[in-house]
Amino acid sequence: MFSNHFTLTKRLLGLLMLIGGIAGFAAIMAIDLLDVGREGGIGPAQQIALALCVLLAFLGVTLIPLGDDPA
Amino acid sequence: MIAALVILLFHLMVYGVFALNLMQFPFDYDQGEGFELVDTILFSQGQFPYRDTNVYPFYSSNYPPLFHVIAAPFVWLFGEAYWYGRLLGTLSAIIAACAIGYAVYRDGGRQRWVAVLSGLAFLASNTVYHIAPLFRQHMTMVMFETLAIVVLANVNEIKDQRRRRRVLFTGLAFVLAAGYTKQLAIATAIAVFVFLFIRQPRRSLVWGVGFALVGGAIFLWMNIATDGQWWLQTITANVNQFIPEQTVGLFRLWFSLHGFLIVPAALYILYELYFSRLSIYAIWFIAGVGVSILSGKWGAGDSYFTTSIAGLCILSGLFAAKTMRREWVNFPINLYTRRIILPLWRVANRLSGVGVLLIPLLYIGYGIATLHMPTQGAVFSTVADVFNIQPNAQNGFYDSAGRIAGGYADIGHLTSQADIDAGWHIVDLVRATDQLVLSEEASFNLIAGKDVITNPTQLLNLAQQGLFDSSALIAMIERQDFGLIIMRAQFYPVDVLQRIAVYYEIVETVPMNGFEYMILAPRSTPLPE
Repeated sequence: MFSNHFTLTKRLLGLLMLIGGIAGFAAIMAIDLLDVGREGGIGPAQQIALALCVLLAFLGVTLIPLGDDPA
Repeated sequence: MIAALVILLFHLMVYGVFALNLMQFPFDYDQGEGFELVDTILFSQGQFPYRDTNVYPFYSSNYPPLFHVIAAPFVWLFGEAYWYGRLLGTLSAIIAACAIGYAVYRDGGRQRWVAVLSGLAFLASNTVYHIAPLFRQHMTMVMFETLAIVVLANVNEIKDQRRRRRVLFTGLAFVLAAGYTKQLAIATAIAVFVFLFIRQPRRSLVWGVGFALVGGAIFLWMNIATDGQWWLQTITANVNQFIPEQTVGLFRLWFSLHGFLIVPAALYILYELYFSRLSIYAIWFIAGVGVSILSGKWGAGDSYFTTSIAGLCILSGLFAAKTMRREWVNFPINLYTRRIILPLWRVANRLSGVGVLLIPLLYIGYGIATLHMPTQGAVFSTVADVFNIQPNAQNGFYDSAGRIAGGYADIGHLTSQADIDAGWHIVDLVRATDQLVLSEEASFNLIAGKDVITNPTQLLNLAQQGLFDSSALIAMIERQDFGLIIMRAQFYPVDVLQRIAVYYEIVETVPMNGFEYMILAPRSTPLPE
């Protein structure tokens, strides 16, 4: 990965986006799960962020079948 | 193409008229311009504007220094004035537009007309028009961002190592300059390093470490030199309340104005994502849209979309250039080509011919969607009459943009002689008192030769986070140390406004630029508590 000739493939980029989307989704949900003192559930800003994480993960999934094409 | 060019050149003329009009206006036009001038004056005297706001004169800047440092030599040459800051903003937008046009020309197969339209489209945006001719640093940041992106776009393809390093160094220097002009350039920094990482992770990490060291060293030096005020005033104080409705409203406005170019830009990104390689332009646009979400912060607004507008002008230009070259017939074979493109092949071939006709229509549609112009004056009144354009904003101005959410800047109209006269009247009132004057805008005090006291929005930023001790300012209000208080938007923290209401009363209201300036004088007897 750290060679002068390495470049990300569509598959690897897709995997990174999928992982990033899932991790982001989990982190945003964790704000409510861990912060027990909060009221009002998932707010509008969190909803926007969750939607973006889902979109990121979805795009990542669609890139994986493109295999070794350079990203 | 000619019709699109005529419409966008008309926009350019309106932009030039507005910029010239503002350069001749000697007072604040947009709230906060005067404080940018104060920052510039302080830098010209070798002083930092990041100061303790709990003590007199309760003033601090909340922006990084580069724009003010660039403007500082003008203070040495011309004294305290607004025109040079507005000139710098105006020129920054023109340089950014030229860079956009150049990028489309270079990377879009040398389509001259499309390149010109792309650059003009940037200047035609209502957002750019509103913000660029002001004494504000935002457009200078966007200029540095655009230059960085255009410089770095093809850096990975440079074979000669020395030349590649030179280009990388230049591009990253522009990113650093953007960041030290305004904090929002973080989006461009992220985009640049994501792009470098995708193309070659090693290069991204090596240069990223160097970039972080240089940027961090400057940051640390300023923080030490200002005794921590740099961190407090520019970082901590800027973490404001987020209003989701404001973000949603401003995104609706952004799409309604720029939709004609957003759609082709988005299609071009999808093409790169699935059938080509992701360019720095695509990643920059996405980062620019991402940072626009912050437009919902208190104190933020439509200016936060300017980076994304620069990006969409380049991407839509590349889409248009590819269409004009009829190159949408060469898709690499992959899963999505087989599933989506090949079944549509016959239709696509016919559409490529239609596309050549469609491109000028896109720019004509964009030019109409972003229409903004004075409806008074020699040329403009004739155009307004012919096309039945009615004013819908201040001072006989038509603006296709409008306030559908908080954070929208109600500006863009030309100033009049009556506005200038009103400003001088307020200056006369300030000069007439021997006492200090507390003003929400700096220009009246600066021209009258009195101390500029407070930066109200910054005090409110700090107060909302419990970081402003208002006791010394309130003590001055209660002692009626101020001979006059001048307010326009009442941006002071609530407790300060409450004490002003008890100890001061409105003695005059002066209309200027469509706003009501309240002149308050000490009450002979304070209101009962």
